[in-house]
Amino acid sequence: MSISHEFTCFSLHQSLFLLPAFSAKFLSEPLPWAPESLKVSINSTHQCLHLQWSVHNLAYHQELKMVFQIEISRIKTSNVIWVENYSTTVKGNQLLHWSWESQLPLECAKHFIRMRSAVDDATTPEQRFWSNWSSWEEVDVQNSLGHEPLFVFPKDKLVEEGSNVTICYVSRSQQNNISCYLEGVRMQGQQLDPNVSMFNLHNVAFIRETGTNIYCKVDRGDDIKGIVLFVSKILEEPKDFSCETRDFQTLSCTWDPGRDTGLLKQLPQSYTLFESFSGKKTLCKHKGWCNWQVAPESQEMYNFTLTAENYLRKRSVHILFNLTHRVHPMAPFNVLFKDVSVTNATMTWKVHSTGNYYTLLCQVELYGEGKVIQKHNVSVKVNGELVLSGLEPDTEYSAQVRCANANHFWKWSEWTRQNFTTVEAAPSEAPDVWRNVKSVQGYCVVTLFWKPLSRLQANGEILFYNIVVEDLDRPSGLQLLSVPAPANRTELTLDQRAYQIHVTANNSVGTSPASVLVVSGDPGDEEVEEERVKGTEDGFSLSWKPQPGNITGYIVEWCDRPRDPLCDLQWKHLGPNTTSTVISSDAFRPGVRYNFRIYGISTEMVPYLLEKKTGYSQELAPSDNPRVVMSNLTSHSFTLSWKDYSTESQPSFIRGYHVYLKSKAGQCHPGSEKAVLSDDSVCCKYKIDDPKQKMFVVGNLQPESFYEFLVTPYSAVGEGPHGAFTKVTTPDEYSPMLIRIILPMIFCILLIMILCYLKSQWMKEKCYPDIPDPYKSSVLSLIKSKENPRLTIMNIKDCVPDTIEVVNKHEGTGKSPTEPEAAKPTYLYLLPAEESYSGPGPCICFENFTYNQAASDSASCGHVPVPTKAPSQLGLLTSSENLLTALEKNCMNSLEEIPAGESSLNYVSQVASPVSGDKSSLPTNPPQPELCSEYKMQMAIPLGLAAPSSSGSSSLSSITLLDEGEHYH
Amino acid sequence: MGTSAEPHSLVLGLLFLSMPAMGSCSDKYPELLGQLQKQADFMQHTNTLLDLYIRSQGLDKNGLKEHCRERPGAFPSKDALQRLSRRVFLRTLDTTLGQVLLRLAALEQDIPKAQDLEMLSGVKLNIRGFKNNIHCMAQLLPGSSETTEPTPTSPGASPSPTPTLDTFQRRLEGCRFLHGYHRFMRSVGQVFREWGKSLSRSRRHSPHQGLLKGARRMQLSGRNKRLMPRVQLAPGSHRGAPGG
Repeated sequence: MSISHEFTCFSLHQSLFLLPAFSAKFLSEPLPWAPESLKVSINSTHQCLHLQWSVHNLAYHQELKMVFQIEISRIKTSNVIWVENYSTTVKGNQLLHWSWESQLPLECAKHFIRMRSAVDDATTPEQRFWSNWSSWEEVDVQNSLGHEPLFVFPKDKLVEEGSNVTICYVSRSQQNNISCYLEGVRMQGQQLDPNVSMFNLHNVAFIRETGTNIYCKVDRGDDIKGIVLFVSKILEEPKDFSCETRDFQTLSCTWDPGRDTGLLKQLPQSYTLFESFSGKKTLCKHKGWCNWQVAPESQEMYNFTLTAENYLRKRSVHILFNLTHRVHPMAPFNVLFKDVSVTNATMTWKVHSTGNYYTLLCQVELYGEGKVIQKHNVSVKVNGELVLSGLEPDTEYSAQVRCANANHFWKWSEWTRQNFTTVEAAPSEAPDVWRNVKSVQGYCVVTLFWKPLSRLQANGEILFYNIVVEDLDRPSGLQLLSVPAPANRTELTLDQRAYQIHVTANNSVGTSPASVLVVSGDPGDEEVEEERVKGTEDGFSLSWKPQPGNITGYIVEWCDRPRDPLCDLQWKHLGPNTTSTVISSDAFRPGVRYNFRIYGISTEMVPYLLEKKTGYSQELAPSDNPRVVMSNLTSHSFTLSWKDYSTESQPSFIRGYHVYLKSKAGQCHPGSEKAVLSDDSVCCKYKIDDPKQKMFVVGNLQPESFYEFLVTPYSAVGEGPHGAFTKVTTPDEYSPMLIRIILPMIFCILLIMILCYLKSQWMKEKCYPDIPDPYKSSVLSLIKSKENPRLTIMNIKDCVPDTIEVVNKHEGTGKSPTEPEAAKPTYLYLLPAEESYSGPGPCICFENFTYNQAASDSASCGHVPVPTKAPSQLGLLTSSENLLTALEKNCMNSLEEIPAGESSLNYVSQVASPVSGDKSSLPTNPPQPELCSEYKMQMAIPLGLAAPSSSGSSSLSSITLLDEGEHYH
Repeated sequence: MGTSAEPHSLVLGLLFLSMPAMGSCSDKYPELLGQLQKQADFMQHTNTLLDLYIRSQGLDKNGLKEHCRERPGAFPSKDALQRLSRRVFLRTLDTTLGQVLLRLAALEQDIPKAQDLEMLSGVKLNIRGFKNNIHCMAQLLPGSSETTEPTPTSPGASPSPTPTLDTFQRRLEGCRFLHGYHRFMRSVGQVFREWGKSLSRSRRHSPHQGLLKGARRMQLSGRNKRLMPRVQLAPGSHRGAPGG
């Protein structure tokens, strides 16, 4: 703790009248005016010790200048921490006071105070005769603290940031280990006695408005005690302090109070205004401004002192000024405009009276379209007036005025602003007109476009446009069309004659000059070749050849959005001597092709196309690859074509195409070059320089090889995307040849098969009828013609049936009818009337089961066992062929004679060759008839007709030859 | 409340005389109970008040914030609240929150920032709204002679601790008080939740009568523990008052 930091809380200064004789008299004995009745009190809040005492034996009427020496000890009397001589003038019976503020909280230690006195002789201070010391007065606040175990001091102390503060704690128990913290950070202290420690805080900082928390707590216990140290920011000196008057009645003083102290609740600050000439003082209600009433007695000079003050600090600033030099006029008022015409207006305004008729300087600013276009200075006493000229018709203007003291400029008043609009006039310019002509069904469809007049040209609101169409062939033929604004186009349908079109814009006052255009039937646009131009970011630089003859000007026409159906037609008028221009537009986009047409306008106002230009503001690499069709694939080549690829719609001028070919071999043939793609793959690149060439034959290929190709366009800025390659595999060399042979063969076979199928019935009848027609048999005819012309075909009428075949149908068995059991026939033998029939008799015809696989083993005629005597009876049949012929003929005939309703008797072809080796399987006993049996008529061949077989072992299995009394089955 | 319950409503009106009627009360008991429960759940969160106070007073430091704990007895404990009959519970709640409002007004003096003051004003509005709902809930309870039941004291909930406290002690006490307030509101929310459970149980048994039974059981259980005066449910007093 530093003693030097402690100071007196306040001092009393009193005059003292010394008596020289008095000094001499009391030199040899103790001073009779010793301090007595010393009382010490404390103010804990301010950590002050207040001393009060009186002077012994001082007469009531006496006044004595005395000095009191005060000693303060801490903890013990010998530890003197403060000695101060306090001089004052003492009157009789006067109670004297002195205060001292302790840096260490008074609660933290005992304090002892004593004093002595002397007559204050300023001339010889070293020869003072001091009285005796008073007895020590002990101040021990700790005794009154109570019985809590822990205390921290000082409570709620207010300091400025940067101050040094001493904190202490008092513990009731020496055993307690106590730690103290500043905002959570432990502090290192200094022990004053076993129960008290103190902590010196240097240069304390402002932390928050609610103060800094300092607390101590017992290490083993819940007890916590603390204080809040309110650290204030230093009160700043007011800045920019100034005063001014607007009406000579009130002075308005303003200042910048600077930053807050941060402790507005605990440390409120006040601002006081003091004027020294008048001696008046006012406490300002606001932090940054204060009003002062101007003295009615016309005080011109003012000397103000502004004092900012809080509990800890006081700050003052001064200003001295003449009131007339601090006049801030009020804003002009009643700003009016009169006599407003097309180009002029008179502005008037008034100023607030200052009472002394000062001359004011007023400044007028005229705004048009947001910019100052005129500035004027006017001297004004009371009313101001100014004529504004050079204005535009039908234009809104804004004028503002402000004033200041002309003699001693201090500040401008605020602006007062007012708007006015000049009156309308007829449009001054003809509308800018252009046309688009289309020929539709023999008529000219003319679309007229015009640009709206600028505000300066329109001189008012355009209400409508008049269009007069004059037939140049018939001057009397006029057509008038009125189009209301804000339309900017109209369409006319004219015949093929020439017309002169006049377009005027009209407002409420009048009509604009006419814009004239001649439209003829023939636009004549097609004969001009198109040139390419290179655009830049600034636009397209176009130039054209000067036209001989009378030209009134040129027009450049283009579309801002050429890809849209409504292409947003634009045009630009150029003078007759101009042969170049730069066309720029915000609508121009990279990668879009813009087409420009340059027209010359003749003196007859007829436009005719001079040149066509096309170009890009910025070329972009092609974005799409053509859709390629591959054809003519052979083992050595294939053809690529992309006929439908439009070069016009590409984002740059296409200069040609690159054909990339990838192969496993990696060999590039002449005409191509190796190229490395972005994926590091190597391929062959063929270059096509002609953008119109949209076909390419890739040759020199290997048979049965795998290739990949890609066709991409290229322009000046690059080529198209390297997208997916198309894969192709060449065929082998012989495949085409084979295909040429095999395909026709297959075709022929198919044709034959189809024919066979279609003519199967015919074929069947011709080649293998189910029941051969003996009459149609070539064999028979051959026999007939060559061997035995008497041979004839057995007639069914001649056949006497002798056996009935009974076919058993097993119902309910669930078996397929094709199974042998299901179709097993049962034979019923029909015997001839004569028992010993040996002559020729009717033959018996059996059902032919040759075509019934399931029944062939049991029901075939061929299964009929041949009787041992049969060869003799069959001797008529000399050969098997004869027999076959005879049988066929007879059976066919018999079939033909069967009525349709009797179809249950089956007659089957007998020509099937017998199955040899199956005889043993023939049933030995005839089967018994069963219910639901079908009877099949069996035809007996008359023996006379049945030619005897030359061979007994003939395979006439379909014939049953019956002997007398014997039944063979 | 039905006409037969007019004397009881008069008693309740006297009980909550100091409370401004903020519009008409809902007569839907479950809705009001749910609202009270939600409000209590919201007010229990320390970020609505305590955190703000700790931050503004610089108490968010190690070694200091540990001392911001509720003083025992400052607010009724959860057990004590659960033991109360519904009527007494509401009255206790109303009284305690009234004291909280007074204490908040005192704490307001120590909060310098306008933003924090605005938040504090919002908290006070919430508490007033909550008190209004308590008032409405009390109107839904059937009247009884329980008005003689003493309100448990909450010594720590006095408007302000002793005025001689220095700023630091006052600050710490304020922090402890707010800590207790949030704990108290959490307990209140739990009590209301139990009310809700008994309501749903009652509904399962009997949509209307069950409420009465549940409420009566609550009262009886509290009575058994604290030997409270016997509650008499006037016939018809439950009309429009599902609990009690």
